[in-house]
Formats: sequence, C-alpha cells, structure tokens
Amino acid sequence: MAPADKTSALVQGTLDMLILRTLALEPMHGYGIGMRLEQISHGAFQVNAGSLFPAFRRLERDGLIKAEWSATENNRRAKYYVLTAAGRRRLAEATREWEAQTAAITRIMRATLGEA
Amino acid sequence: MRFRVARRALAGIRTLFHRDQVEQDLDEELRAYLDAAIERHMQAGLSREAATRAARIELGSTTAIAQRVREAGWESALESIWQDLRLATRGLRRSPGFALVAILTLALGIGANSAIFSVVNGLLLRALPVAAPEQLAMVSTRQSIDEGFPAGWNYSVWKQIHERPDVFGRSLSWTVFPQRFDLAQSGETDPVEGLFVSGNFFDELGLSMTIGRPFNAREDVLGSSDSQVAIISHGLWQRRFGGAADVVGRRITVERVPVEIVGVAPPEFFGAEVGRAFDIALPVGAAPIVRNEKEWGTPAGRSFLAIMVRLQPGQSMTSTTAALRSAQRRIIEGTLRANEIWGPFHENQVKDPFTLTPAATGTSELRRQYTRPLITILVIAAVVLLIACANVANLLLARAAARDRELSVRRALGATRWRLAQQMLLESLVLSLVGAAAGLLLAFWGSRTLVAQLSNWFDRVTLDVSLDWRVLIFTSFVAILTAILFGTAPALRASMANASAALTESLSHRGAGRSSHHFRGSLVMIQVALSVILLVAAGLFIRTFQRVAAVPLGFSSEHVLVVDVNATRAPVDPAALPDFYTRVTATVTSVAGVTHAAASLNTPVNHAATLVGDFNVLGRPPVPERERRLIANFVTDDWFATYGISIRQGRGFTAADTATAPPVIVVNEAFVRKFFPGQDPIGQVIAEIAYTPEWKTTPRTIVGVVNDSIDQSLRATAYPTVYQRLSQWSAVMPLMPVPAQISLSVRAGTGSPAQLSRGITTALTTIDRHLAFSFHPLADRVSAARQQERLVAVLSGFFGVLALSLAAVGLYGITSYAVARRRAEIGIRMALGAQRRDVVQLALSHTLSWSAAGVMLGVIVAAGVTRYLAALLFGVSPLDAVTFVSALLLLAIVAALATLVPARRAATVDPMLVLRSE
Repeated sequence: MAPADKTSALVQGTLDMLILRTLALEPMHGYGIGMRLEQISHGAFQVNAGSLFPAFRRLERDGLIKAEWSATENNRRAKYYVLTAAGRRRLAEATREWEAQTAAITRIMRATLGEA
Repeated sequence: MRFRVARRALAGIRTLFHRDQVEQDLDEELRAYLDAAIERHMQAGLSREAATRAARIELGSTTAIAQRVREAGWESALESIWQDLRLATRGLRRSPGFALVAILTLALGIGANSAIFSVVNGLLLRALPVAAPEQLAMVSTRQSIDEGFPAGWNYSVWKQIHERPDVFGRSLSWTVFPQRFDLAQSGETDPVEGLFVSGNFFDELGLSMTIGRPFNAREDVLGSSDSQVAIISHGLWQRRFGGAADVVGRRITVERVPVEIVGVAPPEFFGAEVGRAFDIALPVGAAPIVRNEKEWGTPAGRSFLAIMVRLQPGQSMTSTTAALRSAQRRIIEGTLRANEIWGPFHENQVKDPFTLTPAATGTSELRRQYTRPLITILVIAAVVLLIACANVANLLLARAAARDRELSVRRALGATRWRLAQQMLLESLVLSLVGAAAGLLLAFWGSRTLVAQLSNWFDRVTLDVSLDWRVLIFTSFVAILTAILFGTAPALRASMANASAALTESLSHRGAGRSSHHFRGSLVMIQVALSVILLVAAGLFIRTFQRVAAVPLGFSSEHVLVVDVNATRAPVDPAALPDFYTRVTATVTSVAGVTHAAASLNTPVNHAATLVGDFNVLGRPPVPERERRLIANFVTDDWFATYGISIRQGRGFTAADTATAPPVIVVNEAFVRKFFPGQDPIGQVIAEIAYTPEWKTTPRTIVGVVNDSIDQSLRATAYPTVYQRLSQWSAVMPLMPVPAQISLSVRAGTGSPAQLSRGITTALTTIDRHLAFSFHPLADRVSAARQQERLVAVLSGFFGVLALSLAAVGLYGITSYAVARRRAEIGIRMALGAQRRDVVQLALSHTLSWSAAGVMLGVIVAAGVTRYLAALLFGVSPLDAVTFVSALLLLAIVAALATLVPARRAATVDPMLVLRSE
C-alpha cells in the first residue's frame, strides 16, 4: 500500500511549482529536493518519495526539467535535475498566478461588513 | 498546449520501446535516494542499521513508487489494458462452458438486432448507388405526400419540366408503377420486371454501362421506331444470356414487339425505387408501341411518370419549388387535350402545389408499407438483447464469486480499485465483441431470410442488405453498450474486493451480501418483466394475424384460378372487345374440369388500382363528395357463380342485358346500407356525376343485390360496390376505350385450380395466338394479402420464444446458484429432520418472489406500452385479456419448470456429505 501523504492538502500542481522553485536555485537530486522543501518550510511539508518521483517524471516529460546523471557528495551516482528555460518561464507564470490568487483570498478573508 | 501533447506522446512511445532501460534507470535512482537517506540519518547520529531501517521506512514500498511513476505516463494505461485483455482471454478459455453460453446468448441478441438493422439500413438509410444522390429530389404534390402515395405525371407535364433545365434543373423520369414485360414470343407469358425511362436516365444518374451504351435522345421520341431498344440489368444478363459479350445488338421481343438490346446496366444499380429491381428498361418513347396504346403520349394520357430533378450546385430546393409552383397553372393548362374544357379536375391539379422532396434514398413503396413493422421488430429485438444482457450479467456475477480470492490478492499487492474494475470490464468487452462477431454471421443469414419473406407473387423484393459501414458501426456500438450494461455490475463487485479477505480462510460465505443478492434478484425480476412484455406483444400480433386470416372474404378462394389475359396484340377491333371477351370466356368454360368462368376488369386482391366512380341517386338530394366514392367493376354473367357470391335480392346479369338494352347494375349489401338503408333498392336509378356539360351520363337501374366481399385490403370493411355488365361498357363509359387487358376467373369443380392451366392454355392459344396470359391461383393472392401480418406474427413469436428461453435459463441459473450457496444450510436442515418439500420450498422462495414481482411489473408496463402497437393490430384490443392471460400462464409454467428442476436437486443433497465438508 502506498504510504499516506503527510503533507496537508498539497495539490499536484502546487508540488510541481515548489519543485521548480527549488531547482531554480541550483540543480539537485531527488532526495535533496525533498530535504530542501522540508527545511525551508520549517517542517510543514514532508514530501515523500511516492509523490516526488511521479512529479519528476511529469515535469521531465513536459520539458520543464532535465535529468543528468552525476556524482553526489559521497561519490555515488545519482540523477540530478536541472531547470530548463521552459521551466523557468513556467515557474515565473506559476508564481504570478499564485500571488494573485493568494492576494484575492486574503482580501476575502479580511473583508469586514463595511467593504463591498 | 499542442507541444505538450506531442511531447508526452513521444515520451510514452519511447518508454514502450526502451522499457527495460527506463526501469533500470528508475531502480538506480531509487537506490540513490535510499543511500542519500541513510547518509542523512547516519549524520544525525544513528548507527548504520538504525539508519537503514529508518531510511527504508521513509522511502516506503519501492514497488508502489515504481508503479506510481509508471502510471504518470499514458503508456502504462495501454500496457495494463493489453495485460488485462490477455488475462481475460486466458480466463475465458479456461472455462469454455461459461464462455460458450455467454457468447451464444450475446450472439443471438446482437445478431438479431444487426439482422433487422441491416434490413432497415437497406430500406431506409442507404443512398441510391448513383452519382451525387444528395442532389436528387422528387417532384411530388402536397396531397401525395400527405397520403403517402407516389406522384405520377403525364407525358406533357414531363416534357414541360424537362425542357426548362434553366428554371427547374436537370430532370429525368421513369414509370411510377412497376411494369411487367412479357419476353415470350407466344403463349404463356414470360414476365420480367422493368421500367420505361427517359432517354437521359442513365446519363443523368451518372451510371456507366457494363457493356454497350445508354439511350440517346433520338431513341426517346414518342412512338418512333428508334425507340425499340432496351437496356437489360446485370442480373438478367447473367441469368438469361450467361454474361455473353455479344448480347449487345441481340434482338428480343418485349410484349411481342421486336426490341434491340443496346447495353447492360452496372451490377449494383437496381433502379430508382428501393425494394424493386428492374430487369429491362425501355425508353419512354417505346411505351405507345409496346403497350399498343396511343394514349400514352398524349397530354391527357395517363399519369404514369415519376419525375426526379437533379439540383445543380447553387440551386436550392426552395427556389426550384417556387419556380415550379409559379409555373404550375401554365403547366397544367399545357396538358389540356384538344376540345377539352378546363374543369374541377384540372383546378384540383393546380391547387395541389408542386412539392419537392429529397430523394437521395430513392422512392419506395416497400418503405411505406414496412417502416413501422420493421421499427417495431427492431425494438422487440432490442428488448431481447436487454434480457440477454441480464442473463450474462447474472452468469458473470455467479462466476465472480469464485474469483474473490484472486481479486483480494491483487488488491493486497497494490492494484487500485479501478484496475480491478478495468479487468472485469475488459472481460465483458471481449465476450461482447466475440459475441458480436458471431452475431454478424447470424445477421448475414437472418437479414437475407427476412427479405425473402417480404416477396410474394406480385412483388419480387430486392433489397441490398449487405454489410456496410453503417451496419458495422451499429453492431460495434451495440456490442460496447451491451458490454457496459452487463459488465458494470461485475466490475463494481470486483472493485469492492477486500484486501484483508485474502488473508482469511473462510471464503465460503463470501459474496452473500444482502445487496448483491438483491441485485441479482432484481435482474431476474427485470428479465421476467421483459419476457412478459414480449410474450404479450407476440400474442397480440399472432391474434392479429389470426383475425386477418379469419376475415370473411365473401367469396370462396380455394377453387378459383385467375388468368390475366393481355389482348393487346390480338387483331380485334377495340369496339368489339367486349364480345371477344365473352367468346373467350365461353371457350374457357368448356375446358374439362371448369364449372364456371367469367371475365372481369378487376379481381379481388389483385394489387391493381381499383376503379372508382362518383354516383348520385336520381331523385334524391346529392350525396356529399366524400360519401359517394364507390368501387366499380365490369363482369360477365357467370362472375358471381364463379366466386360463390350469392345473390340476395333480385337477379344477376343475363343475356337480355345487351349493349343496346337499358344499362343495369348489381350492387352489394354495403351499397344498400349506405344509400338505401331499410329500403328496397331494386328498381332505383343511379347516375354518374357529370363534370362537364358534354359528359353524357347514362342512368342505370339496380336489378340485384349481392353479399359483400373483399376488394383489395383485408382490413377494410366492405365498400359500396357496383357491378356492371361488360357488354354494356360503351353505353356507360363512352369516353374510355375498353381495355385490352382482362382477367378471367375460372372455378374448378374438383381438385386444385392450378391443374386447369394446361387446358386453358390450349383453349386460349386456339382462340388467338396473340393472346398473352399468366396464371394466379386466387388462394395465393389472398395469402399474399396477409403477408405483412403473418411476417410480424412469426417474427414476434420467434423473439417471444427466444426471450422466454433466455428468461428460463436465467431462472435456472440463479436457482442453481442459490441452492449451491446454501448447501451447508440445506444439509443442516435435513440432518435436523426437514422434509424434502420444506427444502425445496426454501430453495424456491426467493426466486419465486422475484419472479412474481417481475410478472406484475411486466403486466403493468405491457398494459401501458401496447397502445403504441395499436396501428399494427387488427380486431384485437391492445389490452386483450386472452393474450395477457395466456402470456402469464405460459411464463408461469416455464418459470415453474426452470426453478423446480434445480430446486428438486437441492433436496437430493446428502446431509452427511455437507456436514463433513464444512
């Protein structure tokens, strides 16, 4: 049975966006991406392999990331993912959408009786 | 967006081909992930073993991850479908009994539907095999369309439309009514079916001859000797001339007139009328010669032509219709004979507006007659298919119970619910498609048999019911729909498989959930209900046929032989024809074995247009137009005796009623009821209605009353009929020449009337060797008049029996299954002392209650639905009690038998065996 996701309501599209963001800083291998997400979110998101790997396959197929085999810090062979130009564009787009959405939701949540 | 689809498609294909490489890569990547996790844990201070354990827990099941990654691509769905298909076929091969029953059931259900759809396709949907059929339209009138009859035009109208292609479009024509041509050189006729066609017929339809050439304009000139040419059909060419290459230029005789063959039509072309095939086509110009009637070509001649126009691109049907209507008065005026005066008849022709109807599928008399019955039978076949689906669904559910363990294991290994359902659905699809393929074979044979049943003495029905794309699509669609219908329940059941059940031992009580039991019971209920409906429908149609067959004819049909005589070529003066016919009749009467013989214009159920008349009773107020329609016939003296029609009042015709004596008529009882209710009609005088001052009407005196008899339709109640003496024709019908065709009715004293044909042949050829004649036992014609009802009764009966058998099989199956499931319970009960009877009752109780519910449901729905069949019924109410009760009884008996057999087997269970095996 697939292990249950410990992430709370992390939708497929959002996960894709977060992976792209992580790779925007530097190329990384699978485990490293998971670690980085956990670190930066201060433990809020613990994405496991069962969600990561399918996401990698999807993003790779869509040409947003590229895979390269390379050596890790411990001289082990691992698959490193790199953001492509298309990936960069998609990330910028997704970031814009996300920010617009969040702003709108925040406005609604903060609306008082007086605001139309 | 488009790039994404293409990229994904390519990636999927690459994965399919380099599967091993891709799998290896993934394995390596997962291993690296694990290593990195171990590293991290060790850095956090755990020992290597603890770190490894923690890392493995964190990673989870690599198999599951690998599966999820695989599913991220579309190609995995394809692979899973392929795997499941192979699994399904293997599974079916392992249980051949089940597979055979299921496939046979489906083949019958789907095949029946495809067979009937093939006929519907050929009759209603298929376009004519000509060039650009969508451009074709028939010239008709609103009244013809409303009354459902083909519109016929005379030669003058045709010429006027044909000569203005700029206004009306290019036009072509052919004879509206089927023509019979006699190819014999003498004596008994050698009839073939044919058409007169306009000279441009084949060219305008874009047909190229197999050999030879089409007609040309010179050959279409009325009455010219150039018009004595013919084009024969491909079929006739093969049958009669053996496909000889030199048939072009050969001379044959058509109606005793020499004619030269100039071409052979293409094989797939059968004419412009669906359901008929032509053997020989002659130009319209040859009609006056071949039929020996000068009237054919004259403006007021018969309305014998159907006119079709080909709309040019850019020419719309509405604009052409408007053009026709605006020219209508002028066109009708152009049909006036010399000295003819415009009368109400012509006014009617102008008032009934020209109307164009699309004719891509040609015209068809067969279509008019059989569309409704065919659609009804198609619905019945669909209902039978539903019953078949319910059967197969029950079979699959019963079989599924045995596969629960397998499914649980698959579930435990990580298969999603959808995957399990997919497997079941694919199995259903395999069953359905194989059943559909077998069904197509059945349909091939069945549709041809059905078409053969439509033919009779008068109509040789030719219908192309070959498999075309429409039938294939229909069959595939039905197969898929069927698979969904019967496969959904097992698929749902499979998807509910419990993973933990794989680990427990006692599966013997599995699948006994209340809901699944209810579901299977309701399937049985639906089957029984549908069977009731079909049995009721079959019963109604069978009783309708019985009623139609029992209609009192008013004459005896068993002893009468009808001889249709064509005297066109006989060298007799048209004015002397009545005497000639009387002489012929006398000669035939003297043939051995003949007790009576008579000549007449019309004979019963002869499929010819009935002569009607418009009469008024002298000295009485005029009868409204619709009321005064009568049937009229001209007969010789012995006619009533020949047909066994009794004279109720007054007298028949005698030799005293000569051509110069006062005209007399004999009427039937319906006439008396209508015009002289409760009075004595003898001595009353009636006269035809004159439409123009020149029209002489001769008053006629009623001298006798005979009993009612059938004219053409067995369903119509008796029509007021007047009989007049043949010899008095010219006195009462001065404007119409005596026809050159007459029917002799001959009564045989003993034995079959068909045996008289040889003696009559000799007699007729002795009188005049130019006479052409054909023999038709009256009994055959009467039988043909019942053909449609008989066909519907046979088909619905067949389907009713099929439905009943399917329901019986279903009931048998579910009872056996219920007994098998409850073996333990039965064994215990018997060990505790239960009687056989109690055990049987126990086994039957649930099945019978579901069946009873089904019967009630069926009766209620049938009562509501049969009203839609009312148009097809005759003499039977849609709620006929006898039919309903019989259907119920039949179903009850069959259901009882089907459930009793397995139930009694339940009582033979050995309690010791059962207890030991638990």
